[in-house]
Amino acid sequence: MAAQNKIWRQLTWTWKPASERDAGDAVVRNLLLHWFPAKVTIGSLSFRYSFWLGTISAVLFGILCITGVPLMFLYVPSVERAYQSVKDIEFVVSFGWFIRALHRLSAHLMVAVVFLHMVRVFFTGAYKNGTAANQARPVNWVIGVAMMLATFFLSFTGYLLPWDQLAYWAVTVGTNIASAAPLVGDKIRFLLLGGNQIEQNTLLRFYVLHCFFLPAFVLFLFLWHMWRVRKDGGLASVDKLSLEQKRQTLPPVKSKTYSLLGITKGRTVHVETALVNEDEHTVNSSPFLTRRILMVTLATVAVICLLALLVATPLEEAANPRVTPNPAKAPWYFLWLQELVTDTTVKLGDFTINGALIGGILVPGLLIALLAVWPWLDKSPVQAVGVWFAAQRRRQNLVFLGILVVVLALTVVGTFLRGPYWLFFWPWEAWPEMPGPF
Amino acid sequence: MKSQTEASARGDSRRGWLHKLGIGGLLAGVTGMGYAFVRALVPNVLYEAPQRFKAGTPDQFPEGATFLEDQRVFIVREQRTFHAISAACTHLGCTVKMVSLNQPKKVAIGGREVEETREFHCPCHGSKYYGDGTNFAGPAPKPLACYRVELAPEDGQLMVNLDEPVSRGFRLTV
Amino acid sequence: MNWKNRDTVTVYSFGGVVAVLVGVVFWNYAQPEWKGYQEEFRELVTRKFGPARARQAPSGIQQIWVKELNRVDRCTTCHLGGDWKGLENAPEPYRSHPKEILDKHPVAKYGCTLCHGGQGYATDTDAAHSVGNTNWGEPLLGGELGKANLISNREALIQVNCNICHRNDRETKGADYINYAKRLVDQKGCYACHTIGKRGGAVGPNLTYIGDLAPEQFDYSRMSGKPSVFGWHVAHFKDPKQAVRETVMPNFGFGSKEAQALAMLVMSWKRTNLPMAYMPGVHIPEAQRTAEEMAKDQQMLTGEGAFFVKKTCFICHDVSSFGIESATKIGPDLAMAYSDVQSRFGRTLEDFLKGPTGTMAVVLSTQIHLTEAERDEAIAKLKVAYQRKTEQDAKNKIAKK
Repeated sequence: MAAQNKIWRQLTWTWKPASERDAGDAVVRNLLLHWFPAKVTIGSLSFRYSFWLGTISAVLFGILCITGVPLMFLYVPSVERAYQSVKDIEFVVSFGWFIRALHRLSAHLMVAVVFLHMVRVFFTGAYKNGTAANQARPVNWVIGVAMMLATFFLSFTGYLLPWDQLAYWAVTVGTNIASAAPLVGDKIRFLLLGGNQIEQNTLLRFYVLHCFFLPAFVLFLFLWHMWRVRKDGGLASVDKLSLEQKRQTLPPVKSKTYSLLGITKGRTVHVETALVNEDEHTVNSSPFLTRRILMVTLATVAVICLLALLVATPLEEAANPRVTPNPAKAPWYFLWLQELVTDTTVKLGDFTINGALIGGILVPGLLIALLAVWPWLDKSPVQAVGVWFAAQRRRQNLVFLGILVVVLALTVVGTFLRGPYWLFFWPWEAWPEMPGPF
Repeated sequence: MKSQTEASARGDSRRGWLHKLGIGGLLAGVTGMGYAFVRALVPNVLYEAPQRFKAGTPDQFPEGATFLEDQRVFIVREQRTFHAISAACTHLGCTVKMVSLNQPKKVAIGGREVEETREFHCPCHGSKYYGDGTNFAGPAPKPLACYRVELAPEDGQLMVNLDEPVSRGFRLTV
Repeated sequence: MNWKNRDTVTVYSFGGVVAVLVGVVFWNYAQPEWKGYQEEFRELVTRKFGPARARQAPSGIQQIWVKELNRVDRCTTCHLGGDWKGLENAPEPYRSHPKEILDKHPVAKYGCTLCHGGQGYATDTDAAHSVGNTNWGEPLLGGELGKANLISNREALIQVNCNICHRNDRETKGADYINYAKRLVDQKGCYACHTIGKRGGAVGPNLTYIGDLAPEQFDYSRMSGKPSVFGWHVAHFKDPKQAVRETVMPNFGFGSKEAQALAMLVMSWKRTNLPMAYMPGVHIPEAQRTAEEMAKDQQMLTGEGAFFVKKTCFICHDVSSFGIESATKIGPDLAMAYSDVQSRFGRTLEDFLKGPTGTMAVVLSTQIHLTEAERDEAIAKLKVAYQRKTEQDAKNKIAKK
């Protein structure tokens, strides 16, 4: 009985703790909550500071993993059967259309939300170390960038699986961009495709990447990401709070370190965090943080469900290597690249540089490299940490915003303003009617 | 003072009701999703060979047993009678192999003396059956199944129905 | 209300929203479109034939899977009356399918969409018929499409699919447009300029598999109306120069009917990978044999000496007077057996067969089992064979002389 109780308490907790001790107990004893701090600042819970974009990304990743399991049972990764099995999922599997819609929409939304999360962290200067000891936020930022790239690649590998026209030609374009890389490009393409043509090898490679390696990679990075957040003393807004307190020059708070384990076991492990007035600015993680997480989870699920009911999941004609659809568009999050490779083929006399190299490799490569090293180039003072649009970071924020606007503009052009033959069409201009057999 | 406690009591009960509704809705949502995911794994259509199939016209079958690999069934012709014996071992489903005997063998099946010219042997666990499907050695718990054979009215082909087991005495006379 | 309480309420609200949305999904699950059709069909059958027959109507998604053709057709989920008698005049989707053509093309072997077009995977009307749906390349070749293409016989477009398999027929029963177009091809001398199959000229393009050309490959800039392959072909047949400026193809003055028939014909010229057994007019190929050889086979199987083939005597023995030839000739010609046995063993044939000695003793006890009736038959036949043999020999002697 006692043993059962113990197990039970490792998995459940009370939503209504009667005391501080109860609240702390939940976090300390519980398997599911143990990675949370015992207390969290009210500012960290605010929607206006973080928009909870990281949590939403994690929830979307969770939905993708959960919906991915039944889809793995239903999908056949063979060029002869893949398309048919997706048709079956759409038409004859009970709830198949719903599960596929949830999966696809979560994937699209995850790309967007992960990107927005990155934008938020940049604008709040949250990749910078604050005042507490042993912080390494720049490392976490790099982990985040890696996760964002993994998310793109996850989305892209998932795109091929239905083996329809959309998939086939998106992969053709995507892997040809990879082949534009100098020296190793062709080898990368050969390795990605498992040959020179998009065939069974390609499908199986993308399938295994999509279902195992990439999710495992993201999961590993996610755990690391969360661990670093804890090590860094929570969100960057906490650093800002402690800085403000110092300015208020209240009677100096007794230098106190607390730790998760410290609450119950005394001061064993020191986790040094920014110092904030606990009584005034913090609440117990259980139930206030856990409840918000539940709220955000439910809201995300609700939105995805609603979208699943409203947005039809496309499935084009079966892949046909003999006919390129017109226009052949990559998934929307790559359309800024597709637009960029269209516009960046450079001619210098007789010398031509393919846009695939400039727009497809150099520009995005440079942007990613810049992103990765930026925390070390950003020399703004500590006052700019955890603050939206800090005055000390105005110039870099403006440059970042500029790049953002360009990427967004290119995406919009690629998505909405390009028609057959990649010609420019205003939204009010009708595309020429595409021919059919009859 | 009293009205205040009443109001708060009302508030409490309202909150309690809301609490139950909320938890109920939450559980309903989660259960519904869980059911949907499990239900999706129960197939609604099957890609399987039909259980009723045409095996060919009677005159295409020689005397004795003919093995149809695709359907794992022996069509046995004895002069003008036909019957179908399953080739799936009744022990654990391996395909039995027909063994023609050099000498007809007299065996007692169910008290009757019968002359056998063939036996069925299972390669997996050594079960053995007489020519009529009766098990006589190894772990097989019961005789090989027999299926209904009929003549298709439209073209006179033998029609075997694997969904309809029949007794071992069943014979179709052509 | 402070934020802490508001959080609780919000959590419950979102929980409720999720529950409602999942409810909607279940609501859709409980009443798919096809269920309505199946209920209506049951009512129709109840009205016409009574409730007992209505219970035989199928329920749930129906599927015809033709493995050889890689076809999956779920049309019969709603088109329920296909093989029912007495629903010839019922409204669609419950009408019986014309029987004559189904006898030659059984649904279990051909499915539906091979002939009719449409998306067999689909389980809702719009997707299944795929008329105007650009995400499925094979629209239902029915009246709606015929009407849109201004064909006087609205149902004629299906003939395109008939001719994918019946390409080599001179005339296909029921495909009048296609038959008409085939006559036109011969009359107008298309082969002079075009290669179609194995013969023809090279002035114009090779048309052997022109039906495979994707809609994207045609130039519609010089034609009006909805761009479509069919429309392009019709316009091109009516006035080649209008469709392709630099063409040397003459204007044959085709009217609408001729142009439409020809458009259907050329659109049917597609590659198919039909299994041999499905090809019309093609049977399992046999080695080429002369009439003589065939007659000999026939003689062996059904002639007077068939008995000796059936009982496997012919493996070792000829029966020359019956035309039975042994491949091994291990034993003597049985045509002479009647006198041979007497001279070799000093016994009558009857006596020898009852109690054989030597090789035959072994053979007749292990490999060939003769019942009494069969033995009598063998003796009778061997007598006839001997008689025949002596007659033949006599004839041959006279002929030699």
